Formats: sequence, C-alpha cells, structure tokens
Amino acid sequence: MIGYILRRLAQLLPVLLLASVGIWAMVYAIPGGPVGMILGENATPEQIAALRAELGLDRPVIVQYWAWLTNALAGDLGVSLHSRQPVVSLIGERLPATIQLGLAATVVGLLIGIPVAVASALMPGSWLDRALSGWSALALGVPTFWLGILLILLFAVHLRWLPSASGYVPFWESPIEMLRNILLPALTLGIYVSGIFARFLRASLVAELRADYVRTARSKGLPERDVVGRHVMRNAMLPFVTIVGLMMANFIGGTVVTEAVFTYPGLGRLLITAISTRDYPLIQGCILVILVIYILINVMVDVLYAYIDPRIEYA
Amino acid sequence: MSARMAEPVLSVRALEVAFMASGRPVPAVRGIDLDVHANEVLGIVGESGSGKSVTSLAISGLLPPTARVRGSIRLGGVEITEADHETLRRMRGVDVGMVFQDPTTTLNPVFTIGRQLTEGQIAHGRLRADAARARAIELLREVDIPDPAGRVIQYPHQFSGGMRQRAVIAMAMAGHPRLIIADEPTTALDVTVQAQVLSLLARRQAETGAAVILITHDLGVIAEMAHRVAVMYGGRIVESGPVEQIFARPRHPYTVALLRSLPRLDGGAARLEPIPGQPPAPSNLPPGCAFHPRCAVARDRARCRTEEPGLRACGPAHLSACHFVEEVPAPSLPRESDGAQPARPAVRRDSEPLLTVENLQVHFPIKAGILRRRIGWLRAVDGVSLTVHEGETVGLVGESGCGKTTTGRAVMGLVRVTGGRIRFGGRDITALGRGAMRQVRRHMQYVFQDPFASLNPIKSAGEIVAEPLRIHGLYDEMGGAGRIARLFEMVGLSPGMMGRFPHEFSGGQKQRIGIARALALEPRLLILDEPVASLDVSIQAQIINLLQDLQRELRLAYLFIAHDLSVVRHISDRVAVMYLGRIVEESEKQALYATPVHPYTQSLLSAVPVPDPTVRGVRRRIVLEGEIPNPASPPPGCAFHPRCFRASARCSAEAPAFLPYPGLPTRAACHHAGPLIPAPGAKHPQEVA
Repeated sequence: MIGYILRRLAQLLPVLLLASVGIWAMVYAIPGGPVGMILGENATPEQIAALRAELGLDRPVIVQYWAWLTNALAGDLGVSLHSRQPVVSLIGERLPATIQLGLAATVVGLLIGIPVAVASALMPGSWLDRALSGWSALALGVPTFWLGILLILLFAVHLRWLPSASGYVPFWESPIEMLRNILLPALTLGIYVSGIFARFLRASLVAELRADYVRTARSKGLPERDVVGRHVMRNAMLPFVTIVGLMMANFIGGTVVTEAVFTYPGLGRLLITAISTRDYPLIQGCILVILVIYILINVMVDVLYAYIDPRIEYA
Repeated sequence: MSARMAEPVLSVRALEVAFMASGRPVPAVRGIDLDVHANEVLGIVGESGSGKSVTSLAISGLLPPTARVRGSIRLGGVEITEADHETLRRMRGVDVGMVFQDPTTTLNPVFTIGRQLTEGQIAHGRLRADAARARAIELLREVDIPDPAGRVIQYPHQFSGGMRQRAVIAMAMAGHPRLIIADEPTTALDVTVQAQVLSLLARRQAETGAAVILITHDLGVIAEMAHRVAVMYGGRIVESGPVEQIFARPRHPYTVALLRSLPRLDGGAARLEPIPGQPPAPSNLPPGCAFHPRCAVARDRARCRTEEPGLRACGPAHLSACHFVEEVPAPSLPRESDGAQPARPAVRRDSEPLLTVENLQVHFPIKAGILRRRIGWLRAVDGVSLTVHEGETVGLVGESGCGKTTTGRAVMGLVRVTGGRIRFGGRDITALGRGAMRQVRRHMQYVFQDPFASLNPIKSAGEIVAEPLRIHGLYDEMGGAGRIARLFEMVGLSPGMMGRFPHEFSGGQKQRIGIARALALEPRLLILDEPVASLDVSIQAQIINLLQDLQRELRLAYLFIAHDLSVVRHISDRVAVMYLGRIVEESEKQALYATPVHPYTQSLLSAVPVPDPTVRGVRRRIVLEGEIPNPASPPPGCAFHPRCFRASARCSAEAPAFLPYPGLPTRAACHHAGPLIPAPGAKHPQEVA
C-alpha cells in the first residue's frame, strides 16, 4: 500500500515538471511582463535594462528556468513584487486557512449531501425524493455570495451568535473560536457542494440498488440497513469519491467570492490580488501550490479507489 | 416416494402476482398451485415472460414493492403473502436459499468470498463472527473448491465463473435451508462447467435432503435434474407431472411443441418444427387459453379462444390445462423423416472453396504499467485452418474464450491478423487495404448474437436494412425501397413493418432484421455469430429454419459460430471444435458427433444435457475437471492436457499436430486421438452415475 502511494507520487513527477514549465513561462506569455509592471509606462531603456539585470531576465531562458526551478525545489519561490515579502511566507500565512475552510466545507457538504442522497435513492419517485431533488437544485442554484450575505444577516446581524467577519483561528489554538469563525463560510460553501454531492451519490445509489448482488444480499436475509449501508454504499462510493476529491481540490484557491464576503484570509483572495497587481512571482507561487495540492488530492482519491474496490490492484 | 406423503416444504395456492404499469395491473403470474417436498427437485420450465422468475421471487418475498400478490404461499409454517418484512427477512437464508443466474453479478465485487458466504448466518445470529472464517472454509470445501483456506479471503474477480457459481451454491446452502430456489443456475456457464455445477447441485441436494425448485428454459437440464416438472406459459402452469411422463407423454400442446422445436444431440436431421408466433407479453395476453394463437390443437375453436382451461388430471400425478387433452399428439409421433427437409443442391467440394483460412493467428498485445509497455501476447487465435464451400455450413464450436468469435471477426477484417492467410472467392484478402476490404465485405456479411444491441435504436427497421446498400452506394442500383421490401419478405417480416423502430420488435423479429441487413448486398458468405443464443427456445427453431431456407434459395455459405452443440449439429455440414485458440477436431457432422476422436470433443458432447430423462444415469458422462485456462498463459504442449483424461507425459511437452485420423473424414490435434472405448486406458474419466 505504501509502496503503491509512493509509486503513484513518483508517476506525478513528470506532470509536475511539465506544469512548472507552463507556470514559469506564463511570465513571458503576458505582454509587458514584470518589468513594465514595476516601472510603469514612462521608464527609460536604461532603467529597464537595469531592472532586467536585477531580476535576471537578461539571462538565457533555460538558465532562468533552471534557476527558478532549483530555487522552487529548495522552497524559494521568489519575492512578491508588490509587498517585497517572500512568496513562500505570504502563501504560508494563507494556506492553513484555506485548507481548514476547504475541509470544513467538505464535511458540511457530506453531512448534508449523504443523508439527502440515501433518503431519495431509497424511495425514488416519492414526494420525499422530489422534495430533496428540489433542495439539491436550490443548493446549486443559489449564488454563494447571496447565501453568505443571508447567513451573515441571520446569524451575525440579527441573532448576533457569530462574527460577521471570519478570521483564521487554528483549530489547535481554540477549537471553539475556530468553529465560530469558520461556521458561516463553511456553511455557505458546504450547502452549495451538498447539492452536487447529493445528486451524484443519489444517481450512483439508484444504479447500484438495481444490481444483482443486492438481490443476493437480500436473499441471505441481511437486514436492509446492511444491504444498503454496506453492500450498496461501498460500491456507490466509487464514483462518489472522485466527485468529493474534485470539489475539495476546487476549494483550494477557488473560493474567492466566499472569502470576500466573509473577509476570510484564504489563498483565493491572495491569488486574485496577485493577478490584479500582476505580481508574477506570487501568481506563480499560488498556482504551483494549488497544483501540488490538486495532484495530492488526486493521489488520495486513487488510493481510496484501490482501497474500496479490490479489483483495482496496487500495481 | 414416502416423502410425497409427508407435509410439503413449500405449498403455493392460487398465487397471483401483478405489477402496476402506467396505472393498470399487468398480471405476471395468474393463479398457480405448487407443492415441493423434501428430497425433491421440482423443475419449472418456461420461456421469457412465462412468470417463472416472478414466482421464485414471490416465494422468497423478494418482489419489489410495486408488486401485488394474492393467494397463498406457505413455507415452513409461515404464510409469506401476509408476513411482514422482518419475518420474511428472518426466513431468507434460513428456510429458503437462492441461486441466481449470473455468478459474475450476483456476488458483490468489493467483499471477500468468505465474508459473503457467512454474513447472512451472522446476521441471523446463527454464527459467531469469530467462527465465520472456519465455517466459510468448510462451506467452500463442501462445494469442492480447491485450497479453501486460501480462497476464502479472495474476492469474486479472483474466482473463475464456475467457482463463483459454486460459491453462490455454498452461500445458498450455508443456513441449511429446507428449500433452495435455483433460477437458471447454469445458463451463464460453459457446457463443461455447467456439467460440474449441475452434478454439484445434485450431490448437495442429496446430501442435505433439501427441496429444490430449479427454474430454467433448458429442457436438457430439466431432464437431467428434476423429479417433477411444471411447465409455465403466460403466467400459468399449463402442465405438471413426473419428469418421465412430461418427456415421454406430454399432455399439453405447448409442451409437445417445445419438445419438437428443439434441435437435439440425439435427434434426426429433420426440419425443426417451430412454434409459430412468439411468447405473449404479460401486458398483452390473448383471451381464453393463452397458448391458443400458437396451438396446433386449438385450430381456432371458440372454446380455446374464450375459455381459459384449468388444470385437469390426465394421468397419475399428471395435470394438463388443455380443453382437448385427448387430441394432444405424442411427441414421438413419427418425426418427419430426413426427406422432409427440402433437398438442397449438394455441396461441391471439388471446386475451390469460397473461404479458405490457413494457419490464422490473431494475437493481442497485453499491456501494463504507465508506459503501456507490452508484457506479453494473448493468443486469441493461434493457428486455425478451415474451408467453407459455396452452399455449405461450417460450424465453429467451443466454449467462451476459445477464439471462435475472433476467428469470425478476423475473416471479416475487423481485427488485425497476426499471421496466416485468408482467401475469399479465389483472392488473398489477408492484407487488403481499407477500400479493397470494403469491396470484399460486400460479399461476406456478419450477423451478431445480440439482436437487442446490434440494431441502432433511433433508425427505423427499413433504414437499418437499407444501410449497407447506402454505404456501398448501391441503394438505387439494387432496387431501392422495392429491394428492402423484398428483403423483409425473404426473412418472414411484413414490408409494412419497415417504418417501425427496433424496440417495437420482439427478439426473434430483431434477429430477422439483422439477417435481412446482412442479406441486403447479396453476399456469398454469412458469418453467423451465435445468432440464436439469446432467443427463446420456440423462436430459435424459427430462425434456424429461416437460415436453412435462405441457404438453399441463395446458395449461401455459412460460418456458424456457436457454443450450443445441438444447434450446430442441426445446421452444419461440417463442424470444427475450438479450444484455446486452436481447432482440436474437425470433421463431417455425422462423423464428429457419432465418433469423436479428440478427448475434448468427447467430453464436450458428453456434458450436453439431453432432454431425455430415461438416459439419466445410463448415459456416460465425462465431467472435466477445472476450467478453461487463461489464453494469455496457455499450458505448454497440448493446451488441453491439464484437463484431459488421456494425457500422458508427451502431452505436456509437445503440442500435437492437426492430422487426418485414419478411417474417418476427421482431422484432430491429439497425441492419443481415438474413439471412446468402454474401458479407457491409463487414466479413467471421472464418471458420474
């Protein structure tokens, strides 16, 4: 199993290397480049040449890439053009907050989505099924910023139970404060994603419930909770795990709107700021980190797959 | 027979099951009575839609909630039609065990065999979790699975098909149920594996004394296994009685017609007598006797059309539901003699064959790893030679994975040939380009097994049949719509059906459309890949007769690929038997079936269940051990040697050549080829009494 994980990770090295070329080359794909960004439109050719030399942009492309890559591997992603702080430490401040929010939102999504899916799959076509399908459509359809504002109005402004602006409080510092801060943004994202979870799991459960092995399990006299909870659920989990992984990956860097509504210090807002200020090293760093996490989540999904389905071998 | 006197294990009275469909009830079972006693095997025969599987689900309380059940089912003192969910659950696995058709789908792929064997008994509180493993091993041992301790922790995909079905049988018997319901338990299995599983089922039934309901469409299986038989048609039992009676003197026109429509290993070459029409759908049952529109006895009499006949005694323990029982002919009435088959022009073997396949090889690469490197070859076809003359039918038989379908596809140019030559119409077509091959394909066409999947659902039947003409740009040249109408008539469909879509046709009609499509371009050779395997017994005969008529009229050559030895025997002039990518024996039909010389052919033939209960226990049966090896790693030497009862040291070292056998029109690939003799030599075949 561990060998399998290591091998899966090793297989990703070429992917990462290729992606790093793309990320690095991005700087050159955009007109103006960092020099124009820093110096503005009225810079003299001398100023430009001096800055190019300072940034190392006058060196051959291969050398530049190699330098960037070796530095990145050593944990140095350069310095933000805007704040002049190391990119690694800027990201380092935001990453734990983003991971914490992503996990919390996934948990909320699963807590809502799984029961909804099971209840509607067991009674397809019933009024409950239709009501729950309505819920899924609503969860998917309501814009997150609007839901976020509604939640703030209810819980922060009206009931005054929770803060309206959510800071990052590490779980190990104060679990209660952490919960108070993360609950509203996690609910906002979790409700949205529960709609997706419920739809996928319901479809998968309905298909599995028709399978022959379900009839076999019933013919053995297994209680229905074992038939559904063990036999059906485990098979239905296969496609579901993929969707959960995809959504988790989406939460890394893809939650700008929610972060903005709750002024939450996540990676998404950092990236958007970096893009709007054309802070190239920071953009590169953010995308690289997001990509690595995305890939790690995919490996996790693959490992889970092999764990759930014995037909997939650790090979 | 003392068991008969005792209380039956299962007693069904006036059972009716209906399903709600678009607001009205559709009757699936319409009032049946059944008794099954301990130590007894009741066979239920019927075609699709006869209600046989619905009956079995009703007995085990597994019907979907949309089903409406009336009548009485008493099993072990419990009235099932009135029992609540919990009572039914506690009864399943304890009072009744079930064996289903397809062992690849009836087992859950994500749990170990051991767990699936015992979880039912654990749930019933009859087995402690810490004793489960030992019990699972014991159960696997009882069904003859080698290395049960190692196998118990494996998953279903690590078991072969036959082993899976053994495990399912073990599972059904884990709780020592008094009743076992086996619904088509061997239909998904190869014939040599079917023989193993049937003998296992019979042995376990005898050992446990359980009552068994065996549901099948296969009259051979019934004749081999059942003590009593119930024949179902249109949701009712139309005849029931002791198995000997049912086969020797059936008293319902449907039973007689079924027996007559069957191609048999022990039958003559006479034309089959199909039952006209098709089995009725439960939603569209004819009034009166459900069988009357297809019945030879009814002759459109008013009584048959209006009054549903009840079961009446017509002999000791023998019941028939026919108004005119006394008119039912005996099935042994002189079958039309060989002359009844319309004569067809003799096959001229002296001319050059239409199709010649020489040493054909088709190897598929086995790839693995991230870079998809080739790690080996799967030798799907490994040296096949055969010839087909104009107007001739060559049967290609073998079990799953033997390469018969790949051979057919290679001839059509649908898979890449690795080695060997294919000549068609005097021309080498082995390495033709796409365009040239397309021209050749005009003269050879393929008919697929599954008429449901091989017709495009969004095209009308007329468009489907016209498509080959359009592809070759010959639609107008060959007569356009008039040609399509003639093709419909040729295959026995009304041209008025041209505008209909595939879902509006029955299985047999769909296969007729597939044949019409294949005939559109006036081909000289048809490759028929299991053309009747997915059809009901009564429909099979219609299609076989149609194929024979078309061959006679159009001088077609057929390469007939099938697993069913009886069907192949009926339709073929010559037969080739394949095993693991090679032809092991090839001969004239009569010689191959009367005097097979290859041990595999001999075992295959002996494994086919014959629809004649009187030969049960008399007929010698060779039950092969093991199953077909993986073609990716065939055994060295003769690929059959690990399962062969004649194998010697030479067989594992040296692959036998495909040589003529003296005195017979036969070629065989065996070091020890020879007819079966009463006392075989070195190693005795395992005989089952």
